[in-house]
Amino acid sequence: MEPWTVVLGLLGALTAGVLAVYTASLLLAPPGTLEAGPFLSGARPREHALSRFHVRWYTVTLLFLAFDMEMVFMYPWAVVVAEVGVSAVVEMFAFLGLLMAGVVYAWREGALRWA
Amino acid sequence: MREAAAWTPVALLGALGALALGAAVLDGVLVAGPRRGGAADPFREVARLLVQQRRRTLLADTLLVRTGVYGLLLVAVLAGVVLPLGDRPVADLAAGVVWFNAMEVCAWGALWLTGWGVNSVYPLVGGYRFVAQGVAYELPHMFALITAALGAGSLRVGDVVAAQRGLWFAVWMPVALAVYLVSAVAMAFWGPMDGPVAPDIAGGVRAELSGPDRLVFQAGRYTLLAVVAAAAVPLFLGGGAGPVLPPWLWTSLKTVAVLALLVWIGYGLPTVRMDRFMWLSWLVLIPAALLQLLVVAIVVL
Amino acid sequence: MGLSAWLTRHAAARPRPIVVTAPHGTRLRLLTEAELSRRGWRDARSPAGADLLVVCGTPADALTRAVQVVWTETPVPRALVELRGDPRPGRVATALDDAVGRLADARSQHLDAAGRANAPAPLPHPDSEGQDGGHGGEHDEGHSEGHGEGHGEGHSGGHGHRMGDPGGVPMARRGPDRDGLALDRLHVPLGPVLVDWPAGLVVETVLQGDVIQRARVEVAAGLGEERFWDAPWLAALEGRHVPRGEAARRRAASHLDSLGRLLSVAGWRGAAAESRRLRDRLLWERPHEGLSRGRAGAEVSRDFTGFARRVRRSRLLGWMLRDLGTARPAPGRAVPVPGDVAASLDRWLDETGAALEDLGDRSPLGDSEGPRGPVDERPSEELLAVLPALVTGTELAVARLIVAGLDPDLDQVRPAREASHG
Repeated sequence: MEPWTVVLGLLGALTAGVLAVYTASLLLAPPGTLEAGPFLSGARPREHALSRFHVRWYTVTLLFLAFDMEMVFMYPWAVVVAEVGVSAVVEMFAFLGLLMAGVVYAWREGALRWA
Repeated sequence: MREAAAWTPVALLGALGALALGAAVLDGVLVAGPRRGGAADPFREVARLLVQQRRRTLLADTLLVRTGVYGLLLVAVLAGVVLPLGDRPVADLAAGVVWFNAMEVCAWGALWLTGWGVNSVYPLVGGYRFVAQGVAYELPHMFALITAALGAGSLRVGDVVAAQRGLWFAVWMPVALAVYLVSAVAMAFWGPMDGPVAPDIAGGVRAELSGPDRLVFQAGRYTLLAVVAAAAVPLFLGGGAGPVLPPWLWTSLKTVAVLALLVWIGYGLPTVRMDRFMWLSWLVLIPAALLQLLVVAIVVL
Repeated sequence: MGLSAWLTRHAAARPRPIVVTAPHGTRLRLLTEAELSRRGWRDARSPAGADLLVVCGTPADALTRAVQVVWTETPVPRALVELRGDPRPGRVATALDDAVGRLADARSQHLDAAGRANAPAPLPHPDSEGQDGGHGGEHDEGHSEGHGEGHGEGHSGGHGHRMGDPGGVPMARRGPDRDGLALDRLHVPLGPVLVDWPAGLVVETVLQGDVIQRARVEVAAGLGEERFWDAPWLAALEGRHVPRGEAARRRAASHLDSLGRLLSVAGWRGAAAESRRLRDRLLWERPHEGLSRGRAGAEVSRDFTGFARRVRRSRLLGWMLRDLGTARPAPGRAVPVPGDVAASLDRWLDETGAALEDLGDRSPLGDSEGPRGPVDERPSEELLAVLPALVTGTELAVARLIVAGLDPDLDQVRPAREASHG
């Protein structure tokens, strides 16, 4: 059997299971939906929580993006190192060294601290 | 690619369900204390959530919430697709390690959607905490996975298991296993890394979930924990290898051991805040993982 | 339906409680927590996950309203337990069993639900608006904030860029932050109904992201007179004979309670549970045959030594709690304020260890140094006064740790006095 068929079958079974849970809740729980405000320790909301959230660690995400792009190269590299030999190791670790230098720079600039 | 078998999806769902339930029972026993009947708590919780009134917060985006909640469970199960159950997984993909990584990264989106969709402060804070946590742990995690793949010279999980016939990877790449376990705990937002669902923000992402939403979310959380524990076995602990017993039994025993360890860690350590942890993951975990990678690369040459 | 009723009964046997305490209800809270721990019921963190709401003490108006709001947010099956007045032994257990009975009654729960489902979402309280007017004004785009009542009714009120308020609640407005940016602000009150939070404390915060920009302390008062943690010293001040051992026991229990709360906020479930178990043993364990009071105290002392060693040795905890709340006392105050969380942790561990050595001391109590300081000086009022300065500019997790590290006892706070302005 094709692997993808099996995976689709798995997805189907899982979806059916989750739908069964929701159906069971429809049958067993009291009808209707409770409209309840967000939990604010006993107060009513004064504004919606959906708002622009100040993510103070955004510099780390830029650093993460750089490394993540490099990861795209690392996965195939792991497969071919044994064949290509020393040059593969040297080149990849030189690349990683450069990136780590960037990380150290970011650390010294305080990008990893935001509290 | 080997022929996939039709019984494997059922086996996977059954195994993950059993592991998730076991983790929940163990957690219940730890929290309630010895001899306080905590073992039955997960079952009572399921019963309660099935009969609990459905709840909606003010102008919540129900589609996003349901997508996030279902997505968490979905990515956990999909990530387990490449893990061998005994001698074969559901789908032994040629790039199985990459698939595993890609699936569990989707959990970031699932959790954040849940936190955003309910339109409430504490889940929103929890969702952003998880993204911060993701950025912190993901790179050490990827390096640990690559180290295992490098040791086997292949990205197929079956080959990684086969390469450990002589010696488990845990023995000669222990740093990679340690980094993997730390990142596994962080990925499943469990234990010391439970910032997104922490008690100090009133339960975080799941603060406003009730009824079937909460049930699917909890199922997803425990399943994700079970999957990351189960993935440690083929990648670092030799898969089904072992004397006397059949492979599926060995896999189960090893998975249960790792899972029990993770659950116990979750009970016994304080929550780690990302503003303190970030420099550790970037400046200690990544270099350690890189050094381990170098050692393994030299050995493999 | 048969299955639904069976599931309801099955779930009702071990409900998940939220315990709300009013000031002067500490004794009831401790009895409740001991009973819940004995039964092994697992706490809920928010009303969506709870089915039992236990109110300890007699709340006054503000707290009653808060409890009412949380009660309406709790989905069915649900039960409310109100414990007030003088606790007779076994009364808590009876009330909890009663609640279990009500939770198991599927029919009445369904009737409860039928009366509430699909009701329109409640609008914000009109009297909760406009509280910021007294704080030097908000600087929102240069408009003065003399009137706060424009929020709830959905009219633009001169702020022409707003499109009205979806669901009757406005979108978040912007305000300056410490870096000069204009960021969305959320008004989030911490407390009074919050798990692991001092009873009756309300910290009205303005949150930008998860950083607290402004904080103001209010007290959600409770009716009553009892100051549980200070009781032995107050009795001694009145002239009654109180053995030192009793006072030491109360002090140790108070610190264990504070430790349990701090460890729980820090996320260390195991140590928090252990601390609370030790506290319950100290407070409520009755000596039985074969185990004298002295021996029981010695056992607690021994268990505590192991617990304290584990907590002190935890490098992860030390790393997380380091340099938090290092006090920036308000100008004009000469008294150094213990805002440092790690220092509080050490102090509690040390003092509890010392107090557990003195449990058998029968000599009369002479001083008035209670667990939080001199009992006649009401040190918690000082703590509430410096609290806003300590939490402003910190993120939510750190603020919760700071409050847990201060652990003010609102039984000591006099009701008519407004504790602080931000």
